[in-house]
Amino acid sequence: MNIAMVGRITLEQAKSLVEFLETDQQDKADALIAEIQNPINSELFAEIGKLTRQLHDSLTNFQLDSRLNDLATSDIPDAKERLNYVITRTEEAANKTMDVVESVFPVVDNLAEQVRAVNPSWTKLMNNEIDLNEFKVLCIDIDALLISTGKETQNIHSLMTDVLMAQDFQDLTGQVIRKVIDLVREVEESLINMLTVFGISAEKPQERTLPKVGDNLVEGPIVNKENRDDIVEDQDDVDDLLSSLGF
Amino acid sequence: MNENLNVSPEGALDKNMKVLVVDDFSTMRRIVKNLLRDLGFTNIQEADDGSTALPMLQNGDFDFVVTDWNMPGMQGIDLLKAIRADSSLAHIPVLLITAEAKKEQIIMAAQAGVNGYIVKPFTAGTLKTKLDKIFARLG
Repeated sequence: MNIAMVGRITLEQAKSLVEFLETDQQDKADALIAEIQNPINSELFAEIGKLTRQLHDSLTNFQLDSRLNDLATSDIPDAKERLNYVITRTEEAANKTMDVVESVFPVVDNLAEQVRAVNPSWTKLMNNEIDLNEFKVLCIDIDALLISTGKETQNIHSLMTDVLMAQDFQDLTGQVIRKVIDLVREVEESLINMLTVFGISAEKPQERTLPKVGDNLVEGPIVNKENRDDIVEDQDDVDDLLSSLGF
Repeated sequence: MNENLNVSPEGALDKNMKVLVVDDFSTMRRIVKNLLRDLGFTNIQEADDGSTALPMLQNGDFDFVVTDWNMPGMQGIDLLKAIRADSSLAHIPVLLITAEAKKEQIIMAAQAGVNGYIVKPFTAGTLKTKLDKIFARLG
């Protein structure tokens, strides 16, 4: 940009101005006057004009890229639904499993109690110390124990099949999550594309950025423990840290 | 099932103590409740975040709080601070069971006066050890 001149007008400019006027080129003379009045603006306007055209082209290209539109209006809402499905299915599975476990606890406790109850008489029997009356009672108790053990183990077996079947969520949620990962990858590519169109470098940042944290540094489960040195690996680490603090 | 508690060296644990389990996930509350029941605790109530828990604590002579850290509404760490700041609640032991695993956070919890810190995923054995330790300390 030729803005280094000291006066308002150069001799050269004055000469060409006279020449334009003498040769009846009024518009050229006017343009020259405008340029002399504000040499920066004309170049700035040209630059803005260029940028505006580029922006316009870029926006037109985006509108043409209907995939981006689909991603925002359809795929991402769909992904949210899919992830909610994962929450629902895993919650269902956890509850189904705990339903069974909670119903088995008292059954097992009851069997253990019955075994405990016959144990003293049984020990006497094994040591040949039992009398006839006690033996009769023992027989009745053992009979009851065998019947309830038979019934309950069968019951527990079928409940265990329910626990087994409750694990089918893993296959379904796995498929759903894989699809969402694909979507995230596609969005990532589109965003990089967008950055490139706008002339912004999409290169990886020099330093690895740590995940975003909320209030009180809340981050949720750490999924890449091996790459972090600001976290504890396990309960032993927690205990060591706390005891180093005099806990 | 309940004998674990009876044979613990400290022995003196009051099984009737009133416990509040705070977690935003009902499944985790259920797991913790089952484990506590297995250890002999019978008087257990639930809340789904700190802001639900705090009024319950203020109105209900609880003896022990087990809380998650990361919850919508009031977080577990803020619940802990609120408990320590309230003279009628300050004495209640608080155990954090959380996936939050930053050293800085553990220090933060220690400074706020936590009585125990368990990182998820955890085991029934860890819970029992920490409970024994907390109540042995309290005497």
